[in-house]
Amino acid sequence: MNNKIGDVGEQDKYLIDISDDDVLTAMKEIGGYLDITFGDFKELYHVAGSHALKRLMLSVKAMDIMTKKVISVNKRTPAKEIAELMARHNVSGVPVVDDEHVIGIISENDFLSRMGKKEIKSFMNIIARCLEDRGCLAVPIRNQKAEDIMTSPVVTAREDTPVLDIVNLFSEKNINRVPILNQEMNLVGIVSRADALRTVIPAIKG
Amino acid sequence: MKFFDKMKGTTKSPPGVSLSEISWSWIGAFLGMAAVSGIHYNMISDTDLVMVIGSFGASAVLIYGAIKSPLAQPRNLIGGHIISALIGVACYKLFASNMWFASSLAVATAIAVMHATKTLHPPGGATALIAVIGSNKIHALGFLYAVVPVGLGAVVMLIVALIANNIPKNRRYPEYWL
Repeated sequence: MNNKIGDVGEQDKYLIDISDDDVLTAMKEIGGYLDITFGDFKELYHVAGSHALKRLMLSVKAMDIMTKKVISVNKRTPAKEIAELMARHNVSGVPVVDDEHVIGIISENDFLSRMGKKEIKSFMNIIARCLEDRGCLAVPIRNQKAEDIMTSPVVTAREDTPVLDIVNLFSEKNINRVPILNQEMNLVGIVSRADALRTVIPAIKG
Repeated sequence: MKFFDKMKGTTKSPPGVSLSEISWSWIGAFLGMAAVSGIHYNMISDTDLVMVIGSFGASAVLIYGAIKSPLAQPRNLIGGHIISALIGVACYKLFASNMWFASSLAVATAIAVMHATKTLHPPGGATALIAVIGSNKIHALGFLYAVVPVGLGAVVMLIVALIANNIPKNRRYPEYWL
């Protein structure tokens, strides 16, 4: 589910689809003569529902859903330590922090793309190469440090940024996590796609 | 082909209503029409006034039979009838020599103005038309037509609706006033 959750006007596809039979049953339960057709009702439901979804996603801010204990590294952390850290904490990306400011971010993709040869673009390529017994592909970055492999500048958001905007950032910038900064531009948290999804799904389920 | 495709419709008809809904629609309509036609035939039959006009039958369908409809709310009932009556009388006065034109103009303009004033009430179209094609007695009323029978009749029917529609537990009227 890495597509555009936040696109205004497309949110209704995240609403539960209701059938004519559902509307029929509801109208029978409510009783009396309801002066509305199934078509009008379903249209109202979808339009009102996507407004509700948008309202929920605008009212929930980054600070409400962010992970506050951020696993981060400094610019001189060696690649090996970064990899170990990411593995131990089971995260797919870490911000690079220098004097409390975020100067870059390192994701699994940064490792892959810095591992030299052009054909290494995906994790499965590495598996394939290992299975061919052609040695460790990570050798080229063995002596590199965080500042050598990080992506910089980094896309960040503020504590009070609505989740809707963060979800839009994910799809526009094609990124998977956004470091969250406070007024003083210090790192206070991180929001991943998974964090955002956990906000949207209860909203859909009502 | 899109033009003809639209004529197929898109969905099925809504469910029917319960016996209690049918019964209370009948009771409300009977009492409402009894009130206006009672006044008409028993109290003012010797005068030049009229109290009952055909469009009240149509109003009864809405305010006793489809009480949740926006078209049946007090704003629409009273506003729609009075506005349409004024438009109908004006059209007759201006274009009485050209009846087909006066009739068409009265109904079309009534609908447009009811829409614009959020008072759309289908029987209003009939109220406007009756002002044009009505009897000499109606024509003689002039703009008084908008007060009696139209305004007063609508108010009497509204009072009956407020009483009859709120007796059963599962019915409630109106949804809103203004």
